[in-house]
Amino acid sequence: MLSNSCRSAGCTLTGALTVTTHVSDAITVVHGPGGCTHHNFSLLHATSLDNDLITLPPLISTGLSETDVIFGGEGVLDRALDTVIERKPGAVFVLSTCIVDTIGDDVGMVCRAKTGTPVLVIPTAGFLGGSFQTGVNNALIALAGMAEPIRGNGRVNIIGEKNLEYEVDENFTEVSRLLSLLGLSVNIRFVHDLTSHQIATLGAARLNILRDPSLIPVGEYLKDQFKTPYIPAFPVGISGTIPFLESVADACGIDPRQTIADECVLISETLDDFADIAGAGISSSSFPLDPEGRHVVQDVARVLRLEIAPSGCPVPVPFTAPIGIAGVRRMLHRWRRALHA
Amino acid sequence: MKQIALYGKGGIGKSTTSANLSAALSCAGYDILQIGCDPKRDSTRMLMQGRLIPTVMDLVRVRGTEKVTPSEVVYTGFNGIRCVEAGGPEPGVGCAGRGIIATFQLLEKFGTLTGDVIVYDVLGDVVCGGFAMPMREGYAQEVYLITSGELMSLYAANNICKAILRLSARPKSRCRLAGVICNAKNQPREEELVAEFARRVNSNLTQFIPRDRSVQLAELNRRTVIEHEPESAQAQVYRDLATRVMKNTHFTIPTPLEIEDLEALAIEFM
Repeated sequence: MLSNSCRSAGCTLTGALTVTTHVSDAITVVHGPGGCTHHNFSLLHATSLDNDLITLPPLISTGLSETDVIFGGEGVLDRALDTVIERKPGAVFVLSTCIVDTIGDDVGMVCRAKTGTPVLVIPTAGFLGGSFQTGVNNALIALAGMAEPIRGNGRVNIIGEKNLEYEVDENFTEVSRLLSLLGLSVNIRFVHDLTSHQIATLGAARLNILRDPSLIPVGEYLKDQFKTPYIPAFPVGISGTIPFLESVADACGIDPRQTIADECVLISETLDDFADIAGAGISSSSFPLDPEGRHVVQDVARVLRLEIAPSGCPVPVPFTAPIGIAGVRRMLHRWRRALHA
Repeated sequence: MKQIALYGKGGIGKSTTSANLSAALSCAGYDILQIGCDPKRDSTRMLMQGRLIPTVMDLVRVRGTEKVTPSEVVYTGFNGIRCVEAGGPEPGVGCAGRGIIATFQLLEKFGTLTGDVIVYDVLGDVVCGGFAMPMREGYAQEVYLITSGELMSLYAANNICKAILRLSARPKSRCRLAGVICNAKNQPREEELVAEFARRVNSNLTQFIPRDRSVQLAELNRRTVIEHEPESAQAQVYRDLATRVMKNTHFTIPTPLEIEDLEALAIEFM
């Protein structure tokens, strides 16, 4: 597999932007040449359209020129921040780029001098070796700084949803369904379509649920800051749901036995719904790139007695592994359409 | 057109030597352009009767690249020598190396890089790609190292050999080590030591410049020695240097020394 060949690989700056642009009342300032912003704006806009969401990411570039590189870009950033703060956003996020970290602009110093509006610095220079995920994690940790000391509210945070993922909302719906089965409700989606004020309640939750284990550094940070335990990943495939329910229940001191029994029935009924495709031969030229996704496909094939062979009917597989039984059901619907086509 | 660059440790006398060399070459009838490539911008001061001329980067900072004209960056000094100072950012911010690159691009665009000899007076340490710009293809093909017999000065000269070695390996690069100039600090056996250093890095001693009070006196009078005391022995040394530079055809790829070898060499001549 080529590195950087999947949607969530790539530049640290892009990773951070998938987080910061989801704070609806904030403005993100990218301190660097115009192209760094333009390229990411296009990517975020186009991906949102692909995900049926028409949105213009709230992004501003400091438009660094060669002259600014030679003489230092701190003045340009300072003026850009003044312009942005005049618009009275809920918060300003300042993201660095390769060139400003090369010439050594003191971005933190410029931001600390601003008062009235929270101005947060997120280090995002890609050449330092970080990945897209480094950007996501850096952004989440920086934004966690906006949380206020607050009493617990017994709810659950969803941490680090993949905002570029096509099924981001479906996956959220599935996880919140599972939580509600245990009598739990969602506090905030950190960070998916929320306001800067909502971030204040981050520390009130009794449990954090991470989108996937690459967010463990964020989970650990939040545990450190707010004593909130975390579950390291969304439930993946048909075998992920029950352990997920068990660990959430365990973390919250809830008896999960009835919920698990009910969910087992639902899983089995769902698979029964696809009895019509049982025994078919399938193949895929685009099996998921990650081993996790491949295991889900193999699990489902085994349960439905589908034969995976190069001669089988090509079926589509989602880019990231399906979440919960709802994700498996959507995948099987697509397989059925392919098999009956 | 001959393009030469002088590199060496900070404070070793690059600007003094460059200015006197330019003055001597000019008096020998050559059309000279001297370019100071150090943000400290004092390379051409003695050629300009003590005046710190506006730098290319000063003009760019105030007006932007588009609004700077060729006549504003070139100043005519002693005996018609054309002087340019690259300049750079304030100490501690920005990127001085990029400033050198931008200056060269602007001078190229203006067609300023003409004459019989261009003398590039460059920052002592080739700290980044920008300060190696004068060694790149199309610019100085002859690099002179200025050093005294002091170890730290030889160490800096040796480091510059590494830069020349690296750049000379590039395709089409014609950058070569042209010689070592000893700007003496009045140490015993200094000439021998620097000559031996030059030999070990696969070059030779182009000129031994003795330490002489006439240099300080000329600087206090904001002149080069050539202008201030043309009849002095020191002025003759600079004229000899100029003659040797013009006649020099021995350009080599240097063989930098390891630090241990350099130390051993210095101890040998102690």
